[in-house]
Formats: sequence, structure tokens, C-alpha cells
Amino acid sequence: MYAYAARRILSTIPVMAVVALFVFSLLYIAPGDPAAIIAGDQATPADVDRIRASLGLDRPFIVRFGEWVWHILNGDLGQSIFTNLPVSHMIAQRIEPTLSLMVLTLILSIAIAVPAGVLAAWKHGTWIDRLVMIMAVAGFSVPVFVVGYLLAYTFALQLDVLPVQGYTPIADGIGPWLRHLVLPAVTLGSAFIALIARITRATMLEVLNQDYVRTAKSKGVDQRSILFVHALKNAAVPIVTVIGLGVAGLIGGAVVTESVFAIPGVGRLVVDAILRRDYPVIQGVVLLFSFVYVLVNLGVDLLYTVFDPRIRY
Amino acid sequence: MKRRELFKAVAAAGVLAAPNLARAQGSKVLRFVPQANLSSMDAVAGTQYVVRNAALLVWDMLYGVNAQLEPQPQMCEGHEVDADFKTWTFRLRPGLKFHDGAPVLSRDCIASLKRWMVRDTMGQLIAGRMDALEAIDDRSFRFRLNKPFPKLLFALGKNNAPTALMMPERIASTDPFQLISEYVGSGPMKFNKSEWVPGATAVFEKFADYPVRPEPADWLAGGKRMLLDRIEWVIMDPATAGGALQNGEVDWWETPLPDLVPLLKSNANIAVDIADPLGNIGSLRMNHLQPPFNDVRARRALLMGLSQQDYMQAVVGENPGLWRPLPSFFTPGTPVYSEDGGDILKGPRNYEAAKKLLSEAGVLGAKVTLLVATDVPITKAEGEVTQDLLTKLGFDVDYVATDWGTVGARRAKKDPPSQGGWNIFHTWHAGSDCVNPAPYTALDCGGDKAWFGWPNSPKVEACIADWYAAPDLAAEKQAIAAINRASFEVVTYGPTGFFQMYQAWRKNISGVVKAPFPVFWGVQKS
Amino acid sequence: MSITTGLPFAPAAAPELADVLPPRKRRGRVAMFVYRHPTIAAGGLLLTIIVAIAIFAPMLGTMDPTALAPARRTRAPNAQYWFGTDMLGRDVYSRVLYGARVSLIVGFSVAFCSAIAGMFIGLVSGFVRWMDAVVMRIMDGVMSIPSILLAIALMALTRGSVQNVVIAITVAEVPRVSRLVRGVVLSLREQPYVEAAVASGTRAPKIILKHILPNTLAPLTVQATFICASAMITEAILSFIGAGTPPIIPSWGNIMAEGRALWQVKPYIVFFPAVFLSVTVLAVNLLGDGLRDALDPRLAKRI
Repeated sequence: MYAYAARRILSTIPVMAVVALFVFSLLYIAPGDPAAIIAGDQATPADVDRIRASLGLDRPFIVRFGEWVWHILNGDLGQSIFTNLPVSHMIAQRIEPTLSLMVLTLILSIAIAVPAGVLAAWKHGTWIDRLVMIMAVAGFSVPVFVVGYLLAYTFALQLDVLPVQGYTPIADGIGPWLRHLVLPAVTLGSAFIALIARITRATMLEVLNQDYVRTAKSKGVDQRSILFVHALKNAAVPIVTVIGLGVAGLIGGAVVTESVFAIPGVGRLVVDAILRRDYPVIQGVVLLFSFVYVLVNLGVDLLYTVFDPRIRY
Repeated sequence: MKRRELFKAVAAAGVLAAPNLARAQGSKVLRFVPQANLSSMDAVAGTQYVVRNAALLVWDMLYGVNAQLEPQPQMCEGHEVDADFKTWTFRLRPGLKFHDGAPVLSRDCIASLKRWMVRDTMGQLIAGRMDALEAIDDRSFRFRLNKPFPKLLFALGKNNAPTALMMPERIASTDPFQLISEYVGSGPMKFNKSEWVPGATAVFEKFADYPVRPEPADWLAGGKRMLLDRIEWVIMDPATAGGALQNGEVDWWETPLPDLVPLLKSNANIAVDIADPLGNIGSLRMNHLQPPFNDVRARRALLMGLSQQDYMQAVVGENPGLWRPLPSFFTPGTPVYSEDGGDILKGPRNYEAAKKLLSEAGVLGAKVTLLVATDVPITKAEGEVTQDLLTKLGFDVDYVATDWGTVGARRAKKDPPSQGGWNIFHTWHAGSDCVNPAPYTALDCGGDKAWFGWPNSPKVEACIADWYAAPDLAAEKQAIAAINRASFEVVTYGPTGFFQMYQAWRKNISGVVKAPFPVFWGVQKS
Repeated sequence: MSITTGLPFAPAAAPELADVLPPRKRRGRVAMFVYRHPTIAAGGLLLTIIVAIAIFAPMLGTMDPTALAPARRTRAPNAQYWFGTDMLGRDVYSRVLYGARVSLIVGFSVAFCSAIAGMFIGLVSGFVRWMDAVVMRIMDGVMSIPSILLAIALMALTRGSVQNVVIAITVAEVPRVSRLVRGVVLSLREQPYVEAAVASGTRAPKIILKHILPNTLAPLTVQATFICASAMITEAILSFIGAGTPPIIPSWGNIMAEGRALWQVKPYIVFFPAVFLSVTVLAVNLLGDGLRDALDPRLAKRI
């Protein structure tokens, strides 16, 4: 088991290397000249050349890549072209709202979707099953920003029970923090809930048809215990896998959700940066999110061994 | 188990419904939604309105214009000037302090003025006739000019950027073409750099040691008395801002969308009013260096097709009280306003005649690169109307949708559009900047040295010089009429109309005044 | 967001009895098909209607979707402007109908291009052992960049255009397709008949063409359907945040992006494109679900 874990951890290194190379070369070939942008409105070509040299933009690809990686390993993600602030500082300022939103969404989604999926599988073929499936397909098909505006309109403006926008740091109290995050989390979770509910239902159906479950049933074991102890535990591996992979979708959705609810998070940072072609910021955020995604899935893979000790690979 | 779950749900609901304590205690905290993202704090090296608005809170000025655009002493006690407007001596008020506690000295002001003079059009005029700018003692300094410059006080006190803000010498010695990175100010509010999240929030805190003038506040003049401890700028898109204002999550919205105004007005807790009676002038800016608009006939053809009604309705909606046609380059309703030469913008639009002119110029069907900042509602609306106009005139339009920051960078390029340059972009000028040529950078026709688009007309330049030399109002009027006529001849830019914007605030805020910039002093929250 | 695409496990709908039994001859073949594959029928019908709307948009009482008329801006839906007009007085009904073209073109093109590219990469990597490790490491790396973020970053490099949107979304989708195809190839390689063909000296291209390719088509079609749905949503998201097709092109994402500032007072500007987009994505998702169950019940467990 430890050998497996070690191997799995090591295997993330080439993946991250590819991500780094990809992200770097994307922006290496980017049109537009950061030096000219920094130089501003009235600079002469000589000024621009001077800035380009001072930024080291005139050196070969491999040198710049090497240096870039070295800086990243030292926690230096470069400087924003527009604000002149260190990218790592800008991300650090905005990481709490994004992490809060994603963690809350994750918890909320699992709390809603897994019971719904289990219920649908248990009541397979009934109207409950159909309802869950219809909701799940609908959850996939409605764009996240439409869900967001619908929720904001209903709960914030019509019913006036939750804030329309913004974020309160968790340090200011868990109540205000939660109030600000409920609507964004439901919005962001809509597709994720659909995804988890479907996979839960599908794997549960499969597990429920297996012999040992039938045996347990025939022995008269309590229904609830069959569902949640025996069956769900065996269905956990695919469900957890999907949750891990679905985090990519969450990250993408967070970019939009943060814009809709004016949450000062990393997602909005990247949207602003892209409209301004602030490449160091884009690099930093893409790299960070990819890193988070790889880590989450590493964690998921390591969790397998907990859920299913038979897995050795 | 069910009962327990129910209990949990109730408890959770209780948490959610608990009043927001942070909000309750914030009666001296103002939450303000600015017109755009605040990406820098340098109103000398940059000319964005939003940057200027923030900088006016943080840095004070030697003089400041009042609502009549008359410069009044602010950091200065007063001045002495000789009879021919050549030697100006200024004396600072006692007790002026920077936010780091250091006293404001003559050398700080001199350094600040020197940096500002490099970037400002009026500053350049001053620099061009200056023999010396020298300190007499720590609180006095002197301009020695070799030609008279009667409008010096206006130059020091004008509200349009580059603004003559007083910074510590070490900050003012930053290269005028580089942004400053330290924000130690001299104004009534301190900028809290550690809480600044560009693109999301900017925080200003009251500067306790600011010496408030005794006079009542009047725009940039008089006592800038802060009744708030903290001002939080929150950047959000218009859809979110509208909801946040209705819900009381923000207190003041600088530029509410005209379409949302009826909704806001219907809310008993919200006040809506015209932001600035001097309004704004929409601008279709053409590049005079690159074909097709290097040919004056092409520029004129564009004006022949330009329907100000289309532009203005796209920008402010159907409320006819909010806009008016503007066959002029100047702010209507001001003493020297003139429509001389503006006939080309009047009457029904004539696309056929315009096309004929274009084919005479040999540019019918030419390619036009149109830069559109889609993140700013005004420029987005203007851009889409222009795209329609250009298509009607048979141009091959390359519509470049981007953001305001990128337009700001790209418009500085003189290269052909194929090499990163441009043909047309849009902006607007605050009416207070267009009352006369002094603050009116966009009117300048000095060719390479002019504002983006680089219009070149010695005739306009001569008329502007006449205005500077004008001894009285009648002569000024005459000079302005000549400038207007000459500007239409060369088509410096395409005025797309005169419009007014709203501002909206919660009714527990009092003291909001009409101005071309948000005035925070005197504003109170209950 | 059809995040299901490319997941190793997908809803394993238990094969319906009707799928397993050979079709019995009946008179109403259409009725039979609908009875056996209700999701395909429903999804297919909806999609056909939307495709027809897109194709015949000019004949459906529309006007020029880009014609400005600020004098008649923000009209509520009425007899003349069925879906109302937007902030520049453009007819929302016409824009939504023409917008169907953009969404469908993006959806279908991305599905097609990523299927072709993914199939090629997957085949090469599944068949050419020495390339497998390298190619798959690259694919793993690209897959680790959340796809919307990758598409956004790619759009930052270029100008907004339908073509660039298609390319950006395709690049983000290709790794998943190639992984899928490679998986199929690897499992087929172990099949006795393929091994026999290899042993008898049949050349690789022929084996691929004769034995491998036909077997990848079913899972590929299903996967392409889901990609189509997710591409349409991604396009809308890109346009919504201002990194997609240029605003002058009436795509559903653009119409919503323009209308969102007024969603409180003029909700119909967002409402109609949102409904059309949701229904279209729903139709494609239904079709995908149905196809997966119908084409390859085994696949349902494996993807």
C-alpha cells in the first residue's frame, strides 16, 4: 500500500511538468508585447526595448522556461502587468473566497446528491427515480449563470432572505460567511449535484443487483443498513472518482459563479486578467488550479485503498 | 432521527437569518461601486477617470476648482503674482502633513509639479515658458516664467487628469512614464494598500491629521471634511450592483445603468439623481495617421452618416431628458458654447452622399479596425452603433472586442492596424473637461504630440492659441467659435452627442453632490 | 455542464429488456422505435426541430438579427417582436433563431474535430508502443488543466471568432477522447482475432481499418454527443465572460451576456436564449444517453 502511494505521488511530477510546459508555452506564443504595455502610452521604441531587456523577454525560450520554473518552485509567480503586484500576492488575497466556495459546494453537493442517487436506485423505476433523473439531466443542461441569476432573483431580491453578492471572510463569523455563500454554492453545485446523483444511482443499481446484497435482503437485514452500509460502501469507489474528476468542472464553474455573485475570488481574477491579457496572472491561476485538481485526484486515488483495501494496483 | 434533523435544520436557518453584525456597526463605513475597476493609483501617469477619482481622495492639491470651475486655494494659503503673470509665488498652509506624518514642504510640491508638467498638456505649456521653479523656504516656492501664463491657477486646480497632486518628493521623483508604487498621500483619506484587491475592492481610511479648511466644501475647493471613517470601493458588474444597492449591501453606485433607473427609483430607500449637470460628450475617435481616415474626406463621410440619436439612445436609453444632439465639440450650456461649423451633424443622415465622398477618396469598402471596450457599457454601445454605421457606409469592419485596459494600451500605437494599430475607438469626455481648450486634451490638433488619433491642424492650434490670449469673454467666445469650425473642418473626432449619467445612493446617505467626480467629503451615513 | 464526458464510470443504466431481445416485427416501426428508445426519440426529435429552426431561420418571420434600431430598444415581447428587443433595438426573436446556428455549429464542429483528433491520437498511442507513454503523459497534463480554464486561456491568445472558439474547446476535449480510444484499442489488441491478424503479418493500417476502427465508432459517437452538449455550454460561458465569439455575432451566449445587466428589468432578453440553450443541450444529452444504452450496453459500464 505504501509503495502504491509513493508511486502514485511520484506520478504527479511528470503531469505537473507537462502542465507547466503547456502553460508557459501558451503564453510564450501570446500575441501582444508585455513590454510595450508596461511602457505605456508615450514610450519610445528604445524605452520598450529597455523594458523588454529588463524583464528578460529577449532571451531564448528554454532559458526563460527554466528560470520561470525555478521561480515558481521558490513561490514566485511573477508580477502582474497591470497592477505591478506579485501574482502570488494577488492569488493569496483571493484564495479564501474561492476555496470556501468550492469546499462548501462540494459538501453541499455530496449531501444532496448521494442520498438522492441512493433513493433513486432503491426506488428504481418509480416516479421518485424518474424525478431524480429528470432533475439530474436538467442540472446538466441549464447553464450555471442562468441558475445563478434565477436563484439571486428569487432568494435575494424577491424573498430578501440572502445577500445578492459579495463575500464575508470566515473570520468575521460563520453566519455571515455562510449567508453569502449559500446561493453561489447551490449555483455552482447544480451541475455537480446532477453528476454525482447520476453516478450514485447507476453504481448503486449495479451493486444492489449483486448476490451478496440479495442474500442480505433475503436474510432480512434492515433496508437502511443494506443501502448505506453494504451497498454504498461498495459503490463508493466510482462515486469518489467522479467527485474527484468533477472538481475540474467546479473550477470552471467557479469562474462564472464568482462573476455572477461578485465574489472577490481567483476565478474573477482570471476573467479580469484574460480580458486585459495579463499573462503572468493567467499563468499563475491556471497553474494553481491545475495543481489543485491534480492534488484532489491524487487524494482520491489514495482514498481508494481506504474504501476498498483489495485495490493494490 | 427525523426530529433531530428538523432541529438541525432550524438551527442552521437561525444561523443564516442572524443579522450581519459587520454591517450593523458600519455606520461610518461607506460602500461605493465605482464606474470601473481601479487598477492603479497614479492620476499623473494615467488619465482614466476612475484612477483620478481615487487619487483625489488620497492626494490634495495646491488649488482646487469649485463648481463654477474657478480655482480656489486648497493647500496654499495664497499666492502673489506680478502684473504680467510671469512670477508666481505660493505659500503653503501651516500644518500640512503627509500620511506618514512628514510635513509637506516646498521641495515635495516642486517635485510633484515637475512630474505632473511632463505629462499634462497645460503643464507642458508652463514648462515651455518656465525659467525656474524654485523653493524660497520650506513653505514658499516660486514659478519664474518668461512668458505670461494667466491660467496657472486653473492648471494647478483643474480636476481632469493628469491632476497636479502633491506627493512626497521621493514618490514624485518616479519616472513620469512609470506608475508610482507607493501611495503616501496628502489628502483627507489614506489608501489601505494591504486591503487592495485589484478587480474587487479598494479601501480608504480617514486621515486624522488632515487639516480641513474652514470654508464649506465645493467640489475640489473648500474644507474636505470627512464624516466617514472608511470608504470601501467594491467593483462589480452592473447586474450585480443593481441588486446589491436594492438590498442595501452597497450604499452608493456611481454609474447606474439608465435602464435600471426606473427600478431603482421605485425603491423607497434609494435616491437617484443626475450625477453631473455638465454631463459628458461621447467620442468616436479616428486615427488620422492611417488609411482610410488619414483622408479628411473619409472622416467627413463618417460624420455625414453619424446619427447622434442612435448613439445617444444606445448609451442612455429613451429618456429624451438625458441627452441632446451636439453639433459642437464643447459642453452645451456653458458661457462660450458654440455650434459654429456643426451643420454636418444636423438633419437627416445621408448615406448615399457619404458613400459618394468615400468613393471620391478612393476608400469605399476599405478595411476598418474598430476597437471596442466591451466591459464598459458606454463604449460598448457606441462601438456597436459604429459597427452598424460603418457597415451601412460599405466599410469592411474588423470588430475587435476587448476590454478598456487593452483599448487604453492599443490606442497608443501609431502602427498600421495590421501591425497592432487601430482605426477607431470610442470614449467619452466629461463635460467639465470640454468647457474650453485648457483642460480639453482631446481637442488638441498638434499632430504627433496630440492625444490618440493624432489629429494635425495648424489652424485649430492657432485658434487655441488665440483663446489662451483672449483678454475677455467676447474674445474667448469668438475664439471658441473659430476652434469649433476648424475642428469640424479637420474632423478632430466624431462627437456622438451630449449625455448625462445618473448616480444612485441609499437614502441613509446624505450630502451627495452633483459633480463630474464622486465627492466624498461632506457625505454622511446614518 | 456535461461533466460526465470522459469519466471512467458513467451511469450504467441497466439494459432494458427491449435492448436485449431481438426486435419483433410489428407494423408501427416508428412506434416500436420510440417504445424501445424513448430517450433517443425525444432527444432526436427536439434536436431535429432546433436544427430545422437554425436552417430555416430566414423563413421563420425573422429580420436581420444585427440590424440596430435604438429608437425601439428594450421592447417587451409583443405581437411584432415576439421575444422583444434588446438594448440596441435588435429583435431578440431573430437573434435567438440565428443564434441557434452558432451554438449548433460550435457544438457539432467541436464534437467532430475532437472525435477525429482524439481518434487519431488514441489509435497511434494505442498501437505504437513507444509513443504511448509520451503521448499519454502529455494528454494527462492537458487533462489536468480544467477544460473551461484551458479554453479561456486559449481564447486570451487569439481574437474572438467562432473558429477560434471551436479550436479552443476542441483542444480541451481531445485528451479525453484519445484516452477513450486508446483504452478501446488496448482491449481490442488482446482479442484473439486481432492477435491472429498481427501474427499472420497483416499490416498495422489494415488491422486498424478492419478490426479496430469499427469497434471504436460506437463509444466515439456516444462520447462525441456529450462533447457536443458540453461545447455548447462552454461557448455560452466563454461569451458570457467576454472571451468568446465577438459580440456582434448573435450567439446565445452573447445575447445572454448583453441581457444580463438588465436581467432584473428585462428578463426576457436572457430568458429566451437560456431556454433555447437549455433545451438544445438537454436534447443532445438525451440523445447521448439513449445512444449509449442502445449502441453498446457494455460501454455504459466501461466509459
